Amino acid sequence: MKVLLIGSGGREHALAKLIRRSVLEPRLFVAMDYRNPGLEKESVETGGKMFIVNTVSAKDVANVAEEVSPDLVVVGPEEPQFHGVTDVLRERGYIVFGASSRCAEVEKSKVFARSLMWKHDIYGRLYFKAFTSIEEARKFIEFAGDVVIKPARQAGGKGVKVLRDTQAYLSRDRAEVKKTYIEKLFSEMEGYRDIDYKIIVEQRVEGVEYTSMIITDGDTILPLPLVQDHPHAFEFDIGPETGGMGSIQGPGWILPFITREEFGKTVEVVSQVLKALQSEVREKYVGAFAGQMMLTGIWGPTVIEFYSRFGDPEMSNLVPIVASDFLEILDKAARRKLAGAKLDIDEDRVTIVKAIAPAGYPDNRRIAAGHPIHVDEGGVRELGCEVLYASVELLANGVMYTKGSRVFEIVCSSDNYDDAYERIEKAITYVKSLDGWPLFYRSDIGSRELLNDRIRAAERVRTIYGSRSRRGLLGKVLMWVPGEGVSDNPLIGFVR
Amino acid sequence: MGSLLAIYAFDELWNLSNIVRYGLMSLQHRGAQNFVVCIPGERVKCLHSENIDEVSRGASKNVALAVIGNDSDNMLIEVDDSGVVAIASERSWDGASRALQALSNAFSNGGDPVTSFISTLNRVSDDVAPSMAVLTKRGELVIWRSPSSFSPLVLGSYGFDMAIVSSESVAIDILGGDVKRFLKPGEGIYIAKYIVKHFTAGVSEHRGLCTFELLYLARHDAIVDGVSVYEFRKHLGRELAKYLESDVDVVVGVPETALPYAIGFAEVIKKPFEMAFMATGGRRRSMLFSDPFEKIVSIHLKMNPIRGVLEGKRVALVDDSMVTGSTIKTVSQILRFRVGVPEVHLFIASPPLIMPCPFSVLRLDMKGLLAANLSQSLARDYLEVDSLHWLSKEDVDRVASRFGLKLCGKCFGVDFFGCRK
Repeated sequence: MKVLLIGSGGREHALAKLIRRSVLEPRLFVAMDYRNPGLEKESVETGGKMFIVNTVSAKDVANVAEEVSPDLVVVGPEEPQFHGVTDVLRERGYIVFGASSRCAEVEKSKVFARSLMWKHDIYGRLYFKAFTSIEEARKFIEFAGDVVIKPARQAGGKGVKVLRDTQAYLSRDRAEVKKTYIEKLFSEMEGYRDIDYKIIVEQRVEGVEYTSMIITDGDTILPLPLVQDHPHAFEFDIGPETGGMGSIQGPGWILPFITREEFGKTVEVVSQVLKALQSEVREKYVGAFAGQMMLTGIWGPTVIEFYSRFGDPEMSNLVPIVASDFLEILDKAARRKLAGAKLDIDEDRVTIVKAIAPAGYPDNRRIAAGHPIHVDEGGVRELGCEVLYASVELLANGVMYTKGSRVFEIVCSSDNYDDAYERIEKAITYVKSLDGWPLFYRSDIGSRELLNDRIRAAERVRTIYGSRSRRGLLGKVLMWVPGEGVSDNPLIGFVR
Repeated sequence: MGSLLAIYAFDELWNLSNIVRYGLMSLQHRGAQNFVVCIPGERVKCLHSENIDEVSRGASKNVALAVIGNDSDNMLIEVDDSGVVAIASERSWDGASRALQALSNAFSNGGDPVTSFISTLNRVSDDVAPSMAVLTKRGELVIWRSPSSFSPLVLGSYGFDMAIVSSESVAIDILGGDVKRFLKPGEGIYIAKYIVKHFTAGVSEHRGLCTFELLYLARHDAIVDGVSVYEFRKHLGRELAKYLESDVDVVVGVPETALPYAIGFAEVIKKPFEMAFMATGGRRRSMLFSDPFEKIVSIHLKMNPIRGVLEGKRVALVDDSMVTGSTIKTVSQILRFRVGVPEVHLFIASPPLIMPCPFSVLRLDMKGLLAANLSQSLARDYLEVDSLHWLSKEDVDRVASRFGLKLCGKCFGVDFFGCRK
């Protein structure tokens, strides 16, 4: 079976590893933006081939497809979806796993996703206000309170400002930051011509984050086990937001801090959104879909945003635990024959994934790029772990160079977190910078301490949403402005 | 002793003035006689003042390092001649100027900051170095909790925007942040725009937290190395209740540190806990004044009695500790002469203080220590109390162990209370 995989990063490498194991004896062809040595190896070893193309160009990718004439195309990242790559491939008759551009709108436009939840009255929705013009946004931000400011378009998990504003004595300082920030964000968003709204201001919530991924053919839904990503760049949840510095999974379908009921509710929410989305765009959703969730005191399971693809690095956690023939599942979904399919996982195992990034990531990728780097893959294997190649390019001189984002992801699994943690910490030492450029990773991910913190935080949140639920207040945030009345608008602050 | 507060905003659009201001305000109870705030720039610039507003106005960048000190003559922050680094130490120490020079050289030569810091520590004798915070002119921070330090250091964050390190967790709360880690003795953190590194340095054995950190210094709402200060205090109060020998009608705590102790005590003996005194002019930490006159002024300002509730009642009076006894003397005089209570039974939630502090964390003058100089019966008569009870060393040891704490107990005549890890 010939499989064409579109995408260049760690998620695609994880997909490649899962696909390779299939009894369908896949030959793996990969269309990627740069020469990712991990993906290259997977394609060569399976008798396939790699193509270096602009993966957001539907024309370029279609040319590759024509040359390969694959039995199945798997589109990994969101940007090719946004740019119509999936659509063009389907038009040309290929069997494709991956959201169409209209379905992918649920990730691309945060305003579309939020509006969808409100229109269809879906559980776990947050208040928001979106802006197409800077003037409007300026006016609104004067009065904004405890909010999060985000780019209204998916922008690689960047640009999110979480401004807890529950203390009037610091409100003015935060207001200043909000004002300056929207100016900055507006000018950055000018570059995106494919969206009307530039900025979205959302109700801020706090709690414990987790990702719920599913595979669907538009009718049947196959949930994947929950995974928790770690967005802060630095240890102890400090520092700027990244695409994810590592993730944990297991044991089984849930996480140690999420209950079965919460998992059930989450899958229900994701399924409802999927249904609403399909009725809205009048198309079947074929591919991976995910909710970036947070367990909050306001709702319990709450939607932060959606992915129209597998999470990265969340996908990497699945590599050691998927027991089913993953390619068969992707193929069935792509052919819209997922009914009856079952995904088996090794329910006794847990997995830890850690990303290694060059200093400069995420805010200054220019200085983070172009550094020679090495990984002793044999050493990592000896520990029973795997290396996934992400933002790293093999040049003609035989040396690998950083591309500016997370370079490698290391994946370790075990029947307990302590052992997986111990081995992954050793495995990380096999990654070396060859020019002395500093690298960083998060040693706290997967540690007992952090896990216990999460369990405690989730317990606290559970107490809050449990009592709000009993009083019929889930999702509600009532504000009373004397003289004006009681309203349901948590976006307004102290400064009037 | 000084307290440290360091704030790093990863986004340069933050102006930290007001944030430093409220941060310092939240740490004022740790001794508020002088404040220093340093910011990066062409050279590190430091502002000194006895006024919070004055120093915090200067913190107009996205990085700030601040120190709160007790003595105006104590140089807790030093900047090298070329303005490359400022070192803030929680107490003055002999190696400070050598460390300053070494770090200044290392940072101007552009070596790895963490390696430079650790090798400087090793060279300058890590045995006595206090906890420190270093600010470079480029705006990097290195903060380290010394194993030989007697105070905690806490790391917190504010969203994706800030890292905050403070001697007490309350500053992180007050700034709207979340506590992320209680740095362990020997742990440090390097914070710069594109990298944060967590490291361990210093080989000496942990000397334990100063018992007074939990007994007196930290706010009730603080969490010290994972332990709720309020819970700890209440628990000592409960222990103390077993020493009650005669009937009392009400339980009263000496404001305001002793209130949780009195609440715990009252809970066990099932008698009402009553407010007894109102303070005038805000909270003053009488124990932290070295000038005896200032100290007695601050005691007197705290003690206007609430008369009705206590008149004619037998009082169990609870305090956290007794150094010279001047506070208790004042309180017992007020209770007897201005309120008119028939009996005062005094309960101290720590053992007798019998030694000066060998580390000068607390300025305890041997001559002034009541328990070291007066017999139990003489003390009773001087203080005009009907009975006088202390927690035993074993009591404190047991409670500290229960909370997983290791506390220095030198001034009480033992090396440590609690875990001897």
